[in-house]
Amino acid sequence: MTDLDYNEDEILARASQGDRDAFGRLYERYVERIFNYVYYRTGNVHEAEDLTARVFQRAMNHIKNYTDRGVPFSAWLYRIAHNLVANWHRDRGRKQEVPLDELPSLPNKGDHPEKNLVHSQEQEALLKMIRRLPPERQNLLILKFVENMSNAEIGEIMKRSEGAVKSLYHRTLLSLRDQLEDQNLNLEGD
Amino acid sequence: MTTRRSDSHAEDFNRLETHLAGTLKRVAPPNGIVQRLRERITLPTRATITLRLHDWKTLFFVFGGVMSGMLLLVTIARALYYFVGRRHTL
Repeated sequence: MTDLDYNEDEILARASQGDRDAFGRLYERYVERIFNYVYYRTGNVHEAEDLTARVFQRAMNHIKNYTDRGVPFSAWLYRIAHNLVANWHRDRGRKQEVPLDELPSLPNKGDHPEKNLVHSQEQEALLKMIRRLPPERQNLLILKFVENMSNAEIGEIMKRSEGAVKSLYHRTLLSLRDQLEDQNLNLEGD
Repeated sequence: MTTRRSDSHAEDFNRLETHLAGTLKRVAPPNGIVQRLRERITLPTRATITLRLHDWKTLFFVFGGVMSGMLLLVTIARALYYFVGRRHTL
């Protein structure tokens, strides 16, 4: 399927009338992005798979209620994903704590495996720090770096203004830098 | 002095952003995960739907099978009704 024959408004209209084939096209377009978001928020491939399926199940059940009020469909999906991940963290907190420090390494798209190995230790340390940040800061970093979204797009998903996102991003960087200094971790320049 | 400190801050941030960009990269989901998820949310693929609609022979046999089965059931029911009903009248 090419982007040329992809008209999201039309597909959304069909999907909201119960057209499963249309919903299938939306699924194909967004599944990888949602999987990435959930994967980085949970740090677990299996949980990411399970939660991604639940995101799309919920979206399919509620797509009739989705009304386009200037909010992109992707923002709606990310909000569903965010809520499910928040529930997952809450349930996990109630049950026995299982440390999620080992993020199973999935291949980065287009990276050479050797390069992955060289950076893995620094990356692991940084990932651990990111996972200790408050959820909204984690969201911000994932959307900015994994999804390459602009502050305005992130604002639509997080229900914040562009300025507020910019400010939150600055505070997040400050906090990460302070943590790095506290732990005497020195990220080497490339 | 202040300029030097802000330069150092900007440098720190740049380095941190570079590392964040290197760490938070889009990952490729494991093989088969997208298909498994698709099955879990019960979406037949476009190819499957097209295949099903084009496979008229299978459709013909399925339709024929269902009709024959129903005819058989009706015949059995009629036969039972006939024999049981006859016994009662004798």
